[in-house]
Amino acid sequence: MVETSTSFSIPTPNANRRTVGGFARWLASERVFRLIPFLIVEGLFVLTILVPFALTIWISLLKWRANRPFETARFAGFENYEAVLTNDQFWLALVRTFYFAGVAVALELFIGFVLAMLVSRCTRSRQLYTTIFLVPMMIVPIVVGYNFSMIYIDSGPLNQILAPFMEGFGIDPRIRWLSHPIAAQWGIIIADIWQWTSLTFLIFLSGFAALPRQLVNAARVMGASPWQTFWRIELPLLKPAIVIAVIIRSMEALKLFDPVVLLTFGGPGTSTQTVAYFLWEQVWVFNKFSFGAAASIVLLIIFSILIFFAVYMLISQRRAVEGSVP
Amino acid sequence: MRLLLSTALFVSLWMASPAVGQDPVADRAVAAAKEYVRAKGLKDPKLTILLSSLYNNSFPDFAKKWEELTGVKFEIVPLGYTDIPAKIMQESVSKTGVYDIFNDFPYTMPDAAGAKVIIPLDDFAKKYQPDFTGIADGLKYQQYYDGKLLVMVNDGDHLLFVLRKDLMENPLANAEYKAKHGKDLGCPDTVAEWAQQAAFFQTKEGETRWGMKFEKGLSGGLGYRSVNFSYRHFPLYMKGLLFDKDMKPRITTPDGVQAIKDFAAAIEYMPKDIQGWGTPQIYPYWGSGQAYSAVSFPSIFGFGESNPNSVVKGKQLACLIPGRMVDGKLVRRSPQAAGTGYMVSAYSKNPELAYLFIQWFTSPSIGDDAVAHPKGFWDPFRLSNLTHKGILDRFGADMVKTTIENTKYAASLLLIEGNYEYFKVLDNNLADVMNKNISAEEAAKRIEVSWNKITNEIGRDHQIQIWRKGVESGIYLDQF
Repeated sequence: MVETSTSFSIPTPNANRRTVGGFARWLASERVFRLIPFLIVEGLFVLTILVPFALTIWISLLKWRANRPFETARFAGFENYEAVLTNDQFWLALVRTFYFAGVAVALELFIGFVLAMLVSRCTRSRQLYTTIFLVPMMIVPIVVGYNFSMIYIDSGPLNQILAPFMEGFGIDPRIRWLSHPIAAQWGIIIADIWQWTSLTFLIFLSGFAALPRQLVNAARVMGASPWQTFWRIELPLLKPAIVIAVIIRSMEALKLFDPVVLLTFGGPGTSTQTVAYFLWEQVWVFNKFSFGAAASIVLLIIFSILIFFAVYMLISQRRAVEGSVP
Repeated sequence: MRLLLSTALFVSLWMASPAVGQDPVADRAVAAAKEYVRAKGLKDPKLTILLSSLYNNSFPDFAKKWEELTGVKFEIVPLGYTDIPAKIMQESVSKTGVYDIFNDFPYTMPDAAGAKVIIPLDDFAKKYQPDFTGIADGLKYQQYYDGKLLVMVNDGDHLLFVLRKDLMENPLANAEYKAKHGKDLGCPDTVAEWAQQAAFFQTKEGETRWGMKFEKGLSGGLGYRSVNFSYRHFPLYMKGLLFDKDMKPRITTPDGVQAIKDFAAAIEYMPKDIQGWGTPQIYPYWGSGQAYSAVSFPSIFGFGESNPNSVVKGKQLACLIPGRMVDGKLVRRSPQAAGTGYMVSAYSKNPELAYLFIQWFTSPSIGDDAVAHPKGFWDPFRLSNLTHKGILDRFGADMVKTTIENTKYAASLLLIEGNYEYFKVLDNNLADVMNKNISAEEAAKRIEVSWNKITNEIGRDHQIQIWRKGVESGIYLDQF
């Protein structure tokens, strides 16, 4: 049977011309140019963030291990989320990660700050010191991991250096840096500090360089001691740099992975397993893709809350600094 | 110059091999590969292998030979062996078809088979007739999963016991040991006897014993105790299977708990840092003469003989793996701790051609040449190795004889889906016991709970079926 009538209206040539003309006029208008960058950004956002993110959420709602074809995966609702939230190892890894990040970042901030302060006051060879202190950050993490694995061997150089001091206190000089649960944790923290103190040093050095010299000089002329100058003038003015250093390093430290894989593989036992390592193992070693996706989403929520507070701190600091500038 | 020398050595080994051109299995594969290329009209035929980077300096020689014989080129994609399982599983999702052959331990096979990223080779095997004669059951049937041939192995990585012959033959040491234990020193028959000898030889640095000064001290024993390695050694200590016929873990039985205790107790006679050591630390330590005995991959013997820095050359004695007394009988178990196998990708464009290469490469003649390769990591595993001049020259006749004798006791590690997760649970808990964080009994309970959870997650019925088939095939040697 031949269809003889249509259920939709065919646009008349006039109407079509009107539409084309309208679109052409819209294209010719100035506001298009304002929208083009927006469209590019939106397009990239959809492609690079939204699609993988949506896929992760979808996979997190399935019951799928990669040791079965994807086609056999079934919808499981929030089963994976329940499994993540009731998994002791996940929470232990998270707590351990915060512990590593907390200790490492605190020490990196302190050491970086002291080094930056000393270098900023150097009158000679400042560029040389700056270069030397920045070198660790430029070394590929795998090289750092390999070097530290050699340093940490129980008959290795670190124990040999420490031996005279340890023996003096009657302590066994052979510290099991990579095989004792607590020593291995410190082994990873030290490796992280060695590599990333450079970054905090760089941030603080630029902070010291940006200090308004007239304020410092004025304080000195008015009889302030070096300690008062530092405590009352320099430190408050360095607060934005400190906040930036804390945020950047904390965000990075919470993703701690390289030294764990390179030095201990999360061991002995699970004593150095960070949350990034835990996720990697669940997905790439145990093939638990759905569980891994759910754990990623849970982590994203936890870290988003932290980011929110970090950004709030940053904005508050900026406002405070802007408010204090006459 | 070194390259030239090693090439010359390899060519001479190749020429010396009596089997070249006389191996019907290899010849069949070559003829069939040529016919396949002709029949399919393949222009510039090529196979791509995802290769364990350990074989970067040896496999290309065989790929070149294959190309000379068949005209089929090889593209080699090397990757660290720890990363290969993930790469294979990625291929199961991405289905790119870039790889024709996967090279990895047989332990990757269950997950890969479950994901259907590798194909059964039975039809090809029926057509082209590979040869598995001279391979002990524990290794031969490790090539099968769920009753299907899925991987072909050309490597024996079943654990070897090696001790210091010079120390064992020291008359003063022997007299002292005999006075103490009423028995001459020698290859220990049981794990308990090994522990006894290890305790006897444990020596502090700077001590002088039996007319020898031990500047750096002497560890009584050496073995793998780190995460990702402990599980490979654990079956040595376990009496019987890890699960019963219904996949109920046997780890909480007295046998299981005792195995955990013995495994953990052995670190007393090992280097203090042993829990952080892998092969890069264990082999040089052995080569430096700082240990009396070791349980390791068989290649430790070759390292001791050929490494330029080794001080134990000519002082090593390869022994049968120590066993356990079960119902008054000595039962030895040499876990197949690694082993190198070859699988065909389900997304290969030429799976038959890929299979033919594997048949050629694992044939008695070419497989033996591989084991003999001076830069390879393939270890002796089949009877034909006993008469291969290159292998005997490389490893020494005594070591080859012992290793082949040991294949009778070669038992597979867990060959079921999710095995790496089961292994990790075991490793983590063993570490906790070794670090005295928990008792062996507590560890056994934790392992049981976690193993049951994994079994239920993957599917208990499926796991039981595969487990029973594996046990019946004889890969674990023990039966229900």
